[in-house]
Amino acid sequence: MTSTTLLLAPTGITPLSSPSEAADTDTQLAVADDLLTLLRTTTTEPRPDEQLEALTLAVAADLPVLIWGEPGIGKTAALTQLAASLDLPLTTVIASVHEPSDFSGLPIVGDDPAVQGVPMAPPQWAVELVRAGRGLLFLDELSTATPAVQAALLRVVLERRVGALQLPAGVRIVAAANPRASAADGWELSPPLANRFVHLYWVHDREVVVRGLGGVWPRAELPRLVPARLPEAVAFARRAVCGFLKARPTLIHRLPTTETRRGGAWPSPRSWEAALTLLAFGTAACVSREVLALLVRGAVGDGPGFELLAHLDRMDLPDPETLLADPAAAELPERGDLRQATLEAVVAAVGARPERARWEAGWAVLVRALGTGAPDLLVVPATALAALRRDDWEVPTAVERLVGVVALARRADRSVARVAAAGGAASATGTHR
Amino acid sequence: MTGASKHPARRPEPRPLPRPMSRPAPPRPVRTTVPGSPVGSGMPAGNPGAPLDTEKLFAARLHAVKVRPYLASALFALHVVEDRSVPTMAVDTHWRCYVSPGFVARTPLEDLAGVWVHEVSHLLRDHHGRGERYAREHEEDGPGERSEMGVPRAEGWGRLRRNVAADFEINDDIYGDGLPVPAGAVLPSLLALPDGLLMEEYLRRAPMSGLAADLAWLDCGSGADGQERPWELGPGGAGGLTRLQRDAVRFRVAEGIKGRPGDAPQGWRRWADEAFHPPQPWRQLLGAAVRSAAGAPGLGEDHSYRRPSRRSASVPGALLPSLRRMPPRVCVVIDTSGSVSDAELGSALLEVAAISRAVGGRRDLVSVISCDAAAGIAVPLCRAENIELVGGGGTDLRSGFARALRSRPRPDVIVALTDGQTPWPSTAPPCRTVVGLFPRPARAVNEDDPDYLPDAPPSWARVVTID
Repeated sequence: MTSTTLLLAPTGITPLSSPSEAADTDTQLAVADDLLTLLRTTTTEPRPDEQLEALTLAVAADLPVLIWGEPGIGKTAALTQLAASLDLPLTTVIASVHEPSDFSGLPIVGDDPAVQGVPMAPPQWAVELVRAGRGLLFLDELSTATPAVQAALLRVVLERRVGALQLPAGVRIVAAANPRASAADGWELSPPLANRFVHLYWVHDREVVVRGLGGVWPRAELPRLVPARLPEAVAFARRAVCGFLKARPTLIHRLPTTETRRGGAWPSPRSWEAALTLLAFGTAACVSREVLALLVRGAVGDGPGFELLAHLDRMDLPDPETLLADPAAAELPERGDLRQATLEAVVAAVGARPERARWEAGWAVLVRALGTGAPDLLVVPATALAALRRDDWEVPTAVERLVGVVALARRADRSVARVAAAGGAASATGTHR
Repeated sequence: MTGASKHPARRPEPRPLPRPMSRPAPPRPVRTTVPGSPVGSGMPAGNPGAPLDTEKLFAARLHAVKVRPYLASALFALHVVEDRSVPTMAVDTHWRCYVSPGFVARTPLEDLAGVWVHEVSHLLRDHHGRGERYAREHEEDGPGERSEMGVPRAEGWGRLRRNVAADFEINDDIYGDGLPVPAGAVLPSLLALPDGLLMEEYLRRAPMSGLAADLAWLDCGSGADGQERPWELGPGGAGGLTRLQRDAVRFRVAEGIKGRPGDAPQGWRRWADEAFHPPQPWRQLLGAAVRSAAGAPGLGEDHSYRRPSRRSASVPGALLPSLRRMPPRVCVVIDTSGSVSDAELGSALLEVAAISRAVGGRRDLVSVISCDAAAGIAVPLCRAENIELVGGGGTDLRSGFARALRSRPRPDVIVALTDGQTPWPSTAPPCRTVVGLFPRPARAVNEDDPDYLPDAPPSWARVVTID
């Protein structure tokens, strides 16, 4: 793996004073080298790493990633591992030690500028990237670069242009910044720029650090795209995002308004497209919901991201029509809240097209639910379903098995009534605020 | 799961204890079965255990859902585990709810409903995460934890303290309105503490050592304090929720409360507002806002063509910019009307002064205008170590803005510190504006003008709420 770090390195090393001293120092240095070799001999162990998986997917999806993290937290180490696993040469550019012209191109004045113009010469690292045709460009320490440098850099990130040079499509770009609170001279992204990045918040895991210093570093199993799943992944991502935005159109575009959310991800058609891409990549790579959550929230922000994930949970629920078609074989979710949502969807489906057969099938689903889970979940759906009854519909016999549910509901009602009757004392204590 | 060895054999005698539930637990049955034996089956010898009365338990949950409809999805998401080694009811971090059959049998149904809400509140309010963070920051339960006398605390003392503090946070606002207050609930008043604080604040304020002996039996599980118990099923067990699923449930509950704010009491509304967007430290926000206003293009440190770059030597004929520092002028307009307290002004002013120094503004570049209905003159900060803020009447910040913009040289950044109960300039001033806002509760009607609503700070200003 090639790694080029562009720093203004000091030139030359001060020569040693005398030959005998030099020989002695040489042996000392050899011993020191041995010690260093021992120190650097570490092993790795496989360990799942969600943030690294998320980073890998976002880079694979060719979306600009911005890693937020306190200084010294291992962002660079993560990038090195990522480059190794993607087999891309890593080019690190530390933004804060550069000048704007390093990114917008150095003006080269020729013989006759009025005729030939002034070409903007690209820096060496950009030329090498173009020559390689592929690579991972890591723009480190964005937050300490001056505004003019940042302005020049953003063109690199967004248009992939360095001076007159166009970076090839095989180049992936990752940037890193310190959080606003810890940045020395608070750079922050304006909303249009923040909207183009996938924001990942890098945190360290105490166990990983302690084990790593003890000599065993984690080796993450990076997600691999499964070719057979690609069409399915695209269909899933489209269905999820479109279905969600149809239900919540106000979330399509929402500029951040409060100070706390400035500089972070926010929803817009552009970032929803990024979320859709990331969902498809995550699905094709079979990553966990946790990784998907990091990616989606990094693209459209915490609130809309959460809502989309909740929507994905709902998409996992069984289709009410399938349940109504074959109540006896109905597979209901184990978790109480999801189960109740499923039952409510069934009742809603019956209510949307009330027919006697469907109504009876609805009761059959409820009876099935009673046999496989907690009875208190059934009270609300059963009440709603009972209210859908038409005069000429007879109550199916299976409903008798729900008598226990009715008793349960009555018991709870009586308990609520008891508390209400004794309510004077309780409210007098002033606990209800 | 070696429940027997972990629990002390000595238990406090039954006595009128403060407790979150109706009755203190009887002596906890010590499990003598082989570790790992399935919970709920094969009762230990000598345990007069009746089977769990699930009907009563679920009727109680239904009661809780009826009186707290906004908590329904969280209550239904709990996975019930019958366990005889739990004193009463407890939750773990994976949203399992451990229930003692004996406790269900002897607790009235309406009190049981309160326990449901109590336990789910631990989870919704993330007491385990917050408890762990608190323990980490204060090194509780670690080897370093000592009492004032340098003696190590009894095992589990830190956990008990966190559990009690978490109970304080919950119990002072969940009861009433359909849920009876259990006799002798663990309330902040036991330690003469005020209601309405957060768990961390209770932990910080009170040593709670007086309560430790009395409440040793109190145990709401790892869901309340973040410390795993021997009887818990752990992350691998059945019916647990992953972190994302837990967050999704909490998110749905919070959204439900925000969607229908009328149904939920103040404490829950505050929780819903802050659950996923915790208030950030205003100092850092104000600092970032002032720094970014002062450091924006055209101000502060940036590249400039006023003097050529030293690199120009290597590119003959080209003019390169060089890095120049232009310290910003910051003018602080302070609302000194009667509604802003001296303490608020003092802390915010100090902060602004510190920030503006840090961004390279020399002290003489920071000036202060005190402003109520009329504006005073701009006083440079360097001459005013103890600035005398005059005023005290009504507010009209417009005069303060006008005064700031009239001062020569003109400021690059205006920082306004106010409680927001003022008219604002109708157009954006020609410089960056940061508003430090002292929060005020939604006001009752003004007697003279019932329709009066103070204007919100304008959109051109960056607003930081100062608590």
